[in-house]
Amino acid sequence: MDEKNPLEKLRIENDKLKRLNSFKTDLISINAHQLRTSLSAMKWILKMFIDKDLGELNKEQESFMEKTYESNERMIKLVNEMLDSNKEEPKQIEYDFESLDIVDLIDDTLFDFKGEAYKKNIDVIFLKPDEETFPLVHADREKIRSVLQNLIENALKYSEEGDRVFITIKKDSGYVQVSIKDTGIGIKEEYIKNLFGKFFRVRNDNDQINGSGLGLFACKNIIEKHDGEIWVESKLGIGSTFYFTLLLSTEKS
Amino acid sequence: MKKVLIIEDDTFLQGLVSRKLKSESYDVMIASDSDDAFAVLEKGIPDMILLDLLLPKIDGFEILTKIRQDPKFKAIPVIVFSNLSEDTDIKRAQDLGINAFMIKSNFTLDELSERIKGLLG
Repeated sequence: MDEKNPLEKLRIENDKLKRLNSFKTDLISINAHQLRTSLSAMKWILKMFIDKDLGELNKEQESFMEKTYESNERMIKLVNEMLDSNKEEPKQIEYDFESLDIVDLIDDTLFDFKGEAYKKNIDVIFLKPDEETFPLVHADREKIRSVLQNLIENALKYSEEGDRVFITIKKDSGYVQVSIKDTGIGIKEEYIKNLFGKFFRVRNDNDQINGSGLGLFACKNIIEKHDGEIWVESKLGIGSTFYFTLLLSTEKS
Repeated sequence: MKKVLIIEDDTFLQGLVSRKLKSESYDVMIASDSDDAFAVLEKGIPDMILLDLLLPKIDGFEILTKIRQDPKFKAIPVIVFSNLSEDTDIKRAQDLGINAFMIKSNFTLDELSERIKGLLG
């Protein structure tokens, strides 16, 4: 019998995994390099527009260029973070906490979705609080922006033409709660408990809906780093509401 | 007029960098690979070289090695302008002798131009 001993088998398996891992590391590094090349070109050209090197712009054009430049900067940052986490010993993703105006950030994030919502004919409605000045939260602006982007993107993705998406915020004792409610297809109860797991994605009959599944997992990590909570309430065929909480700035200091 | 040699194989990026430097009154020379680069260098010594690392056939590290070994060229300041950013790449370029390592996507062309100006004194 040519039965290899278990240790030998493990060694072979381990080598295989190491090779696979190193292949993936290289692939990410090559792709990131390519991404950076395109992102650099966009960055420089947008900057030329903003600096009026290519002629005068009207106010609207200027504001769109600035927004696009900012989006491009965020992509560059993501690529940088991806490369960092691709290293043998990944650097901890750094958090840059500040006293953040969440109303302002939601407004700003929604701006990026105007086009998509319009195209799909979905009304995205931000129900602003009555308070003139809403309390600041203790948060990392860019991390919370990506949580909002993820949740709004999902809401739009799983909504149909004519549906509405509602964003609300409310202050409670010590924290702020943000909710994103859609009237879309909803999530089956059995899926809900794993929804925030790594690589989890609800299988739908709707085949056009793709995604890595990393979105909600990343959101959960981010919110937990903020000492907040994230959860969902959903009914199949009626819609889903995602909630997350952030501590008030005054609680932290 | 200060002369800058851009060694970059992506013609689109090449054009953008060249446009910027020309607007800042530099005399710009362009090379897309190692052969081009040395042909240009033989014709006249630039005041500064902007070097990409990922190039066809002979990469930027090898070009840098040859430049630093040649008595005619070894004093020319070199800025590596690349999208590679692994620690090993940066260290390798630094060991060969560079004046700056800049990651393209992390800088605007104004910042690049500022750096060139700073290094040229």
